[in-house]
Amino acid sequence: MFPNVSGWSWTPLHVTFVTIFLTVAAVMAGTLLLAAWRAWRDVRRGRAESIRWHSEFEDLPLADRTCRHVLTNEFLHRTCDQGFDCRECATHARWTENHPAAAAVDFEVAGLKYPADRMYHRGHTWVKVEDGGTLLIGPDALSERMFGRIGSLTLPAVGTTLHACAPAWTIRSRGDTFRVLSPVDGEVVEQGGPEQACYLRVRPSEHPPALTHLLRGSEVRPWVLRELERLQLLVSPGLPSLADGGVLAEDLPAMSPDVNWPAVWGQMLLEP
Amino acid sequence: MKPKRYGMVIDVDRCYGCGACMVACAVENNVPPPQSSASARTGITPMRVSEARNGKAFPESELAFIPMMCQQCGEHTPCVSVCPQLAVDVDPNTGIVSQIPERCLGCRYCMAACPYHARYFNWWDPQWPAGMERTLNPEVAPRMRGVVEKCRFCHGRLQAAQSKAAAAGHKDIDPADYVPACAEACPTGAIQFGDLLDAGSDVAQAAKGPNTFRLLEKIGTDSHVHYVSKREWVRDMGGAAKGVKHG
Amino acid sequence: MDSALIARSVRRCSFGRFALWLAPWLGVLGVGAWALWLCLRYGLYQTNMDNRYVFGLWIFLDLSIIALGAGAFFTGFLLYVMKKRELKAVIGSAVVLGFICYSAAMALLAVDVGQPLRAWFTYWHPNAHSMLTEVTFCITCYLTVLLIEYVPVILKTRKLRQIPAYAVFEWELHKLVPVFALIGTLLSFFHQGSLGGLFGVLRGRPFAFREGFALWPSTFFLFILSAAAVGPSFILLTTWTVEKLTGRRLVKDDVYRLLCKVSGWLLLTYVGAKAVDTMIWINATAPRAGFEAYNFYLQKPFGPGTLMVEVLLLGLLPALLLLRGAKEGGLAMINGAALACAGIVLNRFVMTIQTLALPTLPFDRFLWYVPSWQENAAFGAMLAYGVIVYSFSYRYLILFPQEKELSRHVS
Repeated sequence: MFPNVSGWSWTPLHVTFVTIFLTVAAVMAGTLLLAAWRAWRDVRRGRAESIRWHSEFEDLPLADRTCRHVLTNEFLHRTCDQGFDCRECATHARWTENHPAAAAVDFEVAGLKYPADRMYHRGHTWVKVEDGGTLLIGPDALSERMFGRIGSLTLPAVGTTLHACAPAWTIRSRGDTFRVLSPVDGEVVEQGGPEQACYLRVRPSEHPPALTHLLRGSEVRPWVLRELERLQLLVSPGLPSLADGGVLAEDLPAMSPDVNWPAVWGQMLLEP
Repeated sequence: MKPKRYGMVIDVDRCYGCGACMVACAVENNVPPPQSSASARTGITPMRVSEARNGKAFPESELAFIPMMCQQCGEHTPCVSVCPQLAVDVDPNTGIVSQIPERCLGCRYCMAACPYHARYFNWWDPQWPAGMERTLNPEVAPRMRGVVEKCRFCHGRLQAAQSKAAAAGHKDIDPADYVPACAEACPTGAIQFGDLLDAGSDVAQAAKGPNTFRLLEKIGTDSHVHYVSKREWVRDMGGAAKGVKHG
Repeated sequence: MDSALIARSVRRCSFGRFALWLAPWLGVLGVGAWALWLCLRYGLYQTNMDNRYVFGLWIFLDLSIIALGAGAFFTGFLLYVMKKRELKAVIGSAVVLGFICYSAAMALLAVDVGQPLRAWFTYWHPNAHSMLTEVTFCITCYLTVLLIEYVPVILKTRKLRQIPAYAVFEWELHKLVPVFALIGTLLSFFHQGSLGGLFGVLRGRPFAFREGFALWPSTFFLFILSAAAVGPSFILLTTWTVEKLTGRRLVKDDVYRLLCKVSGWLLLTYVGAKAVDTMIWINATAPRAGFEAYNFYLQKPFGPGTLMVEVLLLGLLPALLLLRGAKEGGLAMINGAALACAGIVLNRFVMTIQTLALPTLPFDRFLWYVPSWQENAAFGAMLAYGVIVYSFSYRYLILFPQEKELSRHVS
């Protein structure tokens, strides 16, 4: 390598050759370092959970990423490109300005109750705004039936920061450890439980809380119907068909133990 | 000092295949004794006498012995350009193709490149039985396992001649001091060695003589080893291998 | 037992069955590792290579698997640079295969050289004229690229993707993957070519020697073309094999069709170029060096049939089959891919073993070579290593993103 050591001399060919390879190596190292630095910067700016979710979202099948406005037949075909975060979506903002959703009504379908005083997240959790500005969150009726009798539930400790579409509580059941996604950003102020009115009481990170991404009013019914269809497709032929008039059993996994329930939960609750 | 082109002229008609050159070469260059199961294909023979036949039936059948060593190619030296570590080099002052065993990786690419099959690989760890180390030539370094070696025109003898000349205050060596082991050992004097660029030397004149040929001349290696034979079929050996049908 | 590590939406067999599948391969790997250790300990005399057959089974295998592993760079190029989105379905598998092929080749090379500890000499005293230097540098860089591309696949495994820091790193790395795909393509272009150049520059071996362009003989370009042609075929073949072995559908038909089409057209181009190159060699290059080309084919078993088989039976025929498979799918696809791979392997064999088998000097004889058990065991080890790494990757990583969609029933 060094001139005149062991007969070495730098010819133009050698210079070209070594320069090319050093450039390639430098580009490779540089790109890797750039990725690492950007990742570190993202983590420092607290964007880690958001990026994690967006990365997961892109791995969902197209059919599971349908825009909420397609559910209500307002749009014919549209795949969500915001990770279900309608707060960031310009299209949603423009649409709802001109077409506000109709008022909510209580409804029940296949034995599942969806009260009107709540808003719903695509990950099958509900959010209720309390007078004091805090939020109550819990699992919706469909997810309760899908989990049935759970092995154990781990709620986040008081003081934990939650991010929308980041893990909230963990359920251990049927040999699987399942993380249910939080519907909102905020800080846990009180834990609840399955026997209580809610699973968690959360102080939102913004006042007033940004909840435009949650389904409400007349959107909820078409969404639930569609989700039931999706569930049926996922578990058939393990379950008898959910034809009109049927009532969903309280504990679906107990009823059909042969079904791969962790896979079903993953698809339905957006945590594959 | 004028650059030299050391070369050889080998009289094929004088060689009767005694193999003295092979033995002398092995002794001079500290070639280790082979493993018990070694064969002609794995042994190290920097000088190797090959047998050639004219392919005719008795009584026209003829035999020739062709001493083969590194041909010290002058042009497009096949082994130099291919070594990934620059462990092979042509010395511009002598025309001798060198081999640096300490740098050799043992990839054997140079062996694939050499059309004369003049390069040999150390397939095992060299070992000398007890007592045999007294036969070692102190002027030649033995090679380790996994490296390539070949004829270097007894480079150790060249260096000894150069030291002697320098000690006597001469710039140039005395040609009589530098004779490779094979040329020295040959009982018939079939191997002539010297500077091909020295017009007055025997070897330079013999190289220009009639009935000389070089092996695989058309490949364009400009080898420094010339062969001489009055027999036309032997001179035709300078051409290519013609396919031999195997039964 | 390891269900927590397996992605939720796919089914994998029980760990016991998996262990049963791995057991024989681990055995083969063990025997091969022992053989390799013998070579490292006692020298290459453990093999049947000799001063005539300086390259044997191992070099032939190395060249073959590097050609087959070209699927990694080519799929990456087609996906990230040419934006053929369908290939997202196989890029994970392609990257793992590429990594396996190149790491196995490097491991085998490390034993094949006489002094493995001196490998760094090539980097310190590089000979820019030597094709082998180019190969060494390119393959080292490319193996690094493959490692960098393998990392995101591993980070997407079920347990690791849950950790936000890793998910973020994977995300940022993925945004920059076109850079690596481009570098990979460039490096592959050069090293596939240089492997061809290794033999094409050998003036002393008129069977292999070819004229060319600047530093590079025609074999440089032929090797690149053939590697690019056979890469997609190999991906196709392995995907189909995995589907058959696991009994699951892993990719949609349009992916197979695309791979067929690309492979078929490239192979057809390659056959044409090779035919032209062979004619030039027969009529000009070889005679100029004093060798009549027909002489090379007088040695049994390397008769003219070898050339015909290589170019027609395993070159033109698979190209046509692949093009038909691109329209109809089915057996034409698989047969075409298999024959194409065989053809390229034969080509590498011809360039290494046949080149060395043929004598150059008129008084040298044609010699035989049969690999020793150590060489065969090392081959087995390489194969076993590949199967084991791929099996683990298939089980725990998402190599085929379309598998989820295609397994309609989750029960």
